[in-house]
Amino acid sequence: MRKQWLNSGLPVLAVAAFAASAALAQTVDTARIEGAGQNDWLTYHGSYKSHHYSPLAQINANNVGNLGVAWMHVPGRSTRGLQSMPLAADGVLYYSGSYSRVFALNGATGEVIWSFFPELDEALISRQTHSPYNRGVALGEGKVFVGTMDGRLFGLDAKTGKVLWETRLIDSQKLTVGFTGAPLYAKGSVIIGSQGGEWPGRGPIFAVDATTGKKKWEFLTVAGTDEAMKTWANDSWRTGGGGGWMPGTYDSETNTILWGTANPAPLYDWSGPDYKTQGARPGDNLYTSSVIALDIDTGKLKSYHQELPHDAWDFDSAVGEFVMLERDGQKYVVHPNKGGFVFVYDRNLGVKNVWRLVENINFVKDIDPKTGALIGRRDFPVGKVTEPPLCPFIGGGISWNSGSYSPKTGLYYKIGQEWCMTLDIQKTTPVTAPQVQLNIGADFKMAPPPGGEIYGHLDARDPITGAKKWEVRYPEPPLGSVLSTAGNLVFVPDSRGVLHAYDAETGAELWKHNNGTGHQGGIVSYSVGGKQYIAVTAGFGGMLADEYAPNFGGVYKSMPRDDGALVVFSLK
Amino acid sequence: MLRLHLKTIPAGLAASLLCAVMAQAQSATPAPENGTLEVEQVFAGTCGFCHSDGGRAAGKGPQLMNSPRDDDFIRDRIKHGKPGAMPAFDGAFTDAQIDQIIKYIRALKPREG
Ligand code: HEC
Repeated sequence: MRKQWLNSGLPVLAVAAFAASAALAQTVDTARIEGAGQNDWLTYHGSYKSHHYSPLAQINANNVGNLGVAWMHVPGRSTRGLQSMPLAADGVLYYSGSYSRVFALNGATGEVIWSFFPELDEALISRQTHSPYNRGVALGEGKVFVGTMDGRLFGLDAKTGKVLWETRLIDSQKLTVGFTGAPLYAKGSVIIGSQGGEWPGRGPIFAVDATTGKKKWEFLTVAGTDEAMKTWANDSWRTGGGGGWMPGTYDSETNTILWGTANPAPLYDWSGPDYKTQGARPGDNLYTSSVIALDIDTGKLKSYHQELPHDAWDFDSAVGEFVMLERDGQKYVVHPNKGGFVFVYDRNLGVKNVWRLVENINFVKDIDPKTGALIGRRDFPVGKVTEPPLCPFIGGGISWNSGSYSPKTGLYYKIGQEWCMTLDIQKTTPVTAPQVQLNIGADFKMAPPPGGEIYGHLDARDPITGAKKWEVRYPEPPLGSVLSTAGNLVFVPDSRGVLHAYDAETGAELWKHNNGTGHQGGIVSYSVGGKQYIAVTAGFGGMLADEYAPNFGGVYKSMPRDDGALVVFSLK
Repeated sequence: MLRLHLKTIPAGLAASLLCAVMAQAQSATPAPENGTLEVEQVFAGTCGFCHSDGGRAAGKGPQLMNSPRDDDFIRDRIKHGKPGAMPAFDGAFTDAQIDQIIKYIRALKPREG
């Protein structure tokens, strides 16, 4: 059933008017990102509100059948696929590929304006696992910011791509990890979080002066305060993991950075139920698998909520957008957790609700929606975990790519993943010399949910209550980000390579296009010269995508994991 | 440091012996030095992340049990990895330790039950 969704002529006219002024490029600053002008996509999550929503409606539910490829760009050397979120400002599209290659392209034609290929420590990269993909750049003050796998942050001239400054933030030679996540620009600072999780370390988040590249502050997600230090017995904080490998956001009203943190190491603890006193890292392990609020000027912790105290399942909080919205005069922040639950907070990270996006969850029986407390946790001793398998799988009920909130429909569009795993929990010892090594703490294998099959789903839900309006299922979980638009559309780039467009109100599929390889990156919309574009990254491979060929076969068997392209669509 | 040759003892016993070892090794940072390696632990810590079920099944990396590859190939892969697929471990293990890993791989059997 196709719904006639009429776009009033007004937004279209407004689009044209804005486009005319787009030629006069202003610099991107905090106010502009906050305002989220409709022609642009100025920051990873679309705006600080993290809606991943475009107010453009030229492409809409009535005409999406005429959507076709406008242009493509091939970045080359797409080892482990293409995973980044493109940005667009004043008609220029900026995006990054593997090895932190950065491109500035004419948003209407795809013509290359400049490119930047940093010289990286390739010997180091050959020792890494979650590498060498890059998940995006940040824009601000006439610069483009990008992190590298070998622990550096670059500030590039947005007009030319020239390096204006370069700052080493992590000793990656020792710690093995670096940066894959997009930085966040706000209020004169560039914020970026380190990889970590199953990598023994202390998972720093950094703020760097956008003008000079000088480090302003550093917050350690592992035992970063005296209070937190007490939650890691036996000096286990030294190899605690943590990190903040995806960008959070900025709340200008409170002058606060909100960030999600990664899991502790080892992933799987052998403590059994006595995790406060036993096992690899006795205690709650603050501030891992938490959401934290930091003062943007000082990096001081203002508030936090640990979504999973003593996370023993690798269901971190580094995944996920911080969706800001208002209802009945209340301001909310909605943040999904990898375990498959969605947390609803007030602006001080006080828990307001917790709801389930995912059906197959058994690492806890439940989470108290009033307090956020875990109910009926499964803490494993050494040995096998098979009956039942642990749900969800290590890939999470929710992966790191973003969902989308449409202020127009009031719905939150989010991918859920239904899969489980068997484990054999083992004691491990963190290896930190000569170079830090992974610390997993178990052998494991993907398994179907008890009594069911593996699948993925796009849900359209109320972001506060979790009430479901509709759902679309996929035989394998999609891994890319979701985009909703004022054109009453929701776009989902799936794992087999098909980009779908659905009616945002009903979930009816209105259009699809095969991009020829799996998706696991970003999707955005922007406008140049009065014309709306949809840009999506295609290119598969990486820690989760690599599980698809052996477990699902089919198209994944021959799907490249070292290739990718940016594909940009417009109306024919 | 206590040394165990895990491949020669049943898994359950190995696990309980490992407990004993680990209790002592808790706060140390035992980089595999020149000594013998806890290969099972190396898999649970690192390799098993990609070689599922301790190398018995395909995951991000191929199944290693019953590998048709010869020792030289396996040694080379562990040392140098493969870009975008498997990390290089030449800095992490000595040649002797890699030989131990090869022995472990050759001895891999399906888990009972
Ligand atoms: C990040 C994932 C990852 C990790 C960690 C990893 N491997 Fe691999 N490994 C792979 C992949 C992928 C391949 C297949 C490479 C190719 O395309 O030929 C592979 C191949 C191999 C092979 C050759 C098998 C064959 O049939 O080609 C051996 C042996 C091996 N790995 C052993 C190890 C050992 C031992 C460790 C730990 C010290 C380890 N691997 C850690 C991903 C990994």
